[in-house]
Amino acid sequence: MQRPLRVIGRSELLPLPIRQKAAEELDFPVEFELIDGIEGLQRVVTRPESFDVYLQWHTVDLIWTARCIQAIDLARLKTGPEIMAAAQSQSGVSKVIDTVFDKLFVQPDGTLARTPSDRLSMLPLVHGVDSFGYLAALRDGLAPNEAATWGWMLDPRWAGQVGLIGDPVLGIIEGALAVEASRGLSFEDIGNLSVEEVDEVIDTLIHKKKIGHFKGVWSQAEDAVRLIQRGGVVLQTIFSPAAAKLRGLGVPIVISTPAEGCRGWHSDLCISAATGGETLDAAYDFLNWCQDGWAGACFARQGYYATFPDRIRGHLHPDEWDYWYGGIRAARPLPDPEGRICVPTGHRREGGSHRERMSRARVWNTFMDEHTHVVRRWRDFLEA
Amino acid sequence: MNVHKAYYEIVRDVLALNIGEGALPQGTRLYVAAVADRLSVSRSPVKRALELLSDEGVVTRDGARGYVVGRTVVHDTTRPNLHLLDLHLPGNETTALVPPSWEMIVQKVDQEMMNAIPFGIYQISESGICDHFKVSRTVTREVLARLHDRGTISKDRASHWIAGPLSARMLDDLHDIRQIVEPAALDRAAPALDLGMVAAMRGRAASALSAEQTLTEDMLDRLETDLHVTCLSPLRNLRLAQVVRNAQLSFVVNRLFATYIARHDETAMLLEHRLVLDHLAIRDGTGAAMALRHHLDADHIRTRDRLKVLAVFGDPSIAPYLTRLV
Repeated sequence: MQRPLRVIGRSELLPLPIRQKAAEELDFPVEFELIDGIEGLQRVVTRPESFDVYLQWHTVDLIWTARCIQAIDLARLKTGPEIMAAAQSQSGVSKVIDTVFDKLFVQPDGTLARTPSDRLSMLPLVHGVDSFGYLAALRDGLAPNEAATWGWMLDPRWAGQVGLIGDPVLGIIEGALAVEASRGLSFEDIGNLSVEEVDEVIDTLIHKKKIGHFKGVWSQAEDAVRLIQRGGVVLQTIFSPAAAKLRGLGVPIVISTPAEGCRGWHSDLCISAATGGETLDAAYDFLNWCQDGWAGACFARQGYYATFPDRIRGHLHPDEWDYWYGGIRAARPLPDPEGRICVPTGHRREGGSHRERMSRARVWNTFMDEHTHVVRRWRDFLEA
Repeated sequence: MNVHKAYYEIVRDVLALNIGEGALPQGTRLYVAAVADRLSVSRSPVKRALELLSDEGVVTRDGARGYVVGRTVVHDTTRPNLHLLDLHLPGNETTALVPPSWEMIVQKVDQEMMNAIPFGIYQISESGICDHFKVSRTVTREVLARLHDRGTISKDRASHWIAGPLSARMLDDLHDIRQIVEPAALDRAAPALDLGMVAAMRGRAASALSAEQTLTEDMLDRLETDLHVTCLSPLRNLRLAQVVRNAQLSFVVNRLFATYIARHDETAMLLEHRLVLDHLAIRDGTGAAMALRHHLDADHIRTRDRLKVLAVFGDPSIAPYLTRLV
């Protein structure tokens, strides 16, 4: 009896339909474990023997440094030729998610870089951009033709009605975007702030918190939904599944397209350094299954983009494709991954098509070099 | 360079002596905490000493239930009171195993701080230091003042002593200094180095390179000490030696990485070490200095990457007078 393939990842990245379908379609047992917090990452770096596949999220450089994942053989991937073609031509997906390609290929000296090789650090699965969302009614208070900006997060017009994400890695990036916009500053590299810049951002946030600007901080998607639904928040960081949920509940939420650009993210499949033998074969089968199209279509219904959209097109109804990827108004009510209606007829996805939205990725989720300092100061903010 | 034996080595020797003499009889159960308490030392040297003795077959590990003297594990549940045993200890019963001069405490606390701050931010308990080292408040304050001067600790807004976090900036700054002074120091030391010793060091690096398994922490320590301490030992300028030593913070990060990370690969480091030693073997101080500069730069990049990994850790083992804040 073959032992199950053990897959770990965040709950939004492994929705129930994906877990069910994988179990149904693959000819070996698959065990999914959902770990949302930092514990997942801790386990990956200390106990690579405790998992086989990890759906990583902005941590590939860390887990590669720790050598707890193994190089993926490009020749064993169905999408191998497409990945290579994108990398060599420097076009297509390698431009859409260039940050992924920057650390995709294993080099002869063991480092990760953009130069193509036959070994990958990870298999890119899904990507997207996030920004803040706001209630449609907020538009009433805007000046004519006023464009959305990250500065709104700190704007006194919505004092006491703003929500923030509680995670320091993402929070510091959004804080920096907001501080830059509202105070007219310009950080050298907003994805990798210096100690002084982190201090600048956090001190601003602390001041705002003390004068009662923030209504709440959320760490789980449900909290984000609740804050807007009945917590008195009109504007806050939001992920696409939470926005879909709110829309499904009839809350008119608008995802902003800030002038300064959005916060990009990607999630990719990695194989444990400890996986071998027939379990390794199973891991490759799982990776290939994920790229096949069905899973990508499922992710599309919660607003995530797949690495190779053409592969999933056939798995989406043309109306769904037009809405999620094309940025066209919904011709009819559209379902979420679990079949509940989450998009009303006539709704148009803010920011437009896949390419238009991804071209607005200004900064990508990442652990900054001064991560420990970020965490220290973020704690100061949370406790202020 | 090292005039004192390492703390864990002293503990190991004391335990081995008492086991050999029968003062710690076969079958005695040894818990790290109990041994640390009996010997009035901290837990980490005890932990390492017991690991060493276990490797030597003098004691046997019994899962989560500590160690047992001898090669066989007796399954009893009694927890012996080690204070009832008449052990043979250096000094007399009322003093600590190693008489703590306060300079030694500064060094010790500094080292334990360094072992902690790559993981986050810690609050230092003044009374904890008093208890741990069995010293007065006055001595403790002196120790903390010195550490403050060194930049190891600072006070927060509520006037608590805080250590950490170890920032990438701090690593950058120290690397900057080290990159300037250590190659120059090696160049100066090279003419006086014993070539037999250099050959032995090169042999160790080469055999570590050809070994299949991951480097142990002790091997890693040995290799780092070879190149970055022993090779500089002929230096007559002790002030220069001190500056070099104070800048060698990346050791700490690399060692912690080896302790906590399941699979670390040190091939690049070994190749770089071997190259420096190759130059030293033919008394080419200038070449050795250049190779060392290359090694320090490459190592700095690795250390920065590794620091980020350490930052995600939950509960490293730390000194009892430190409390983790983040």
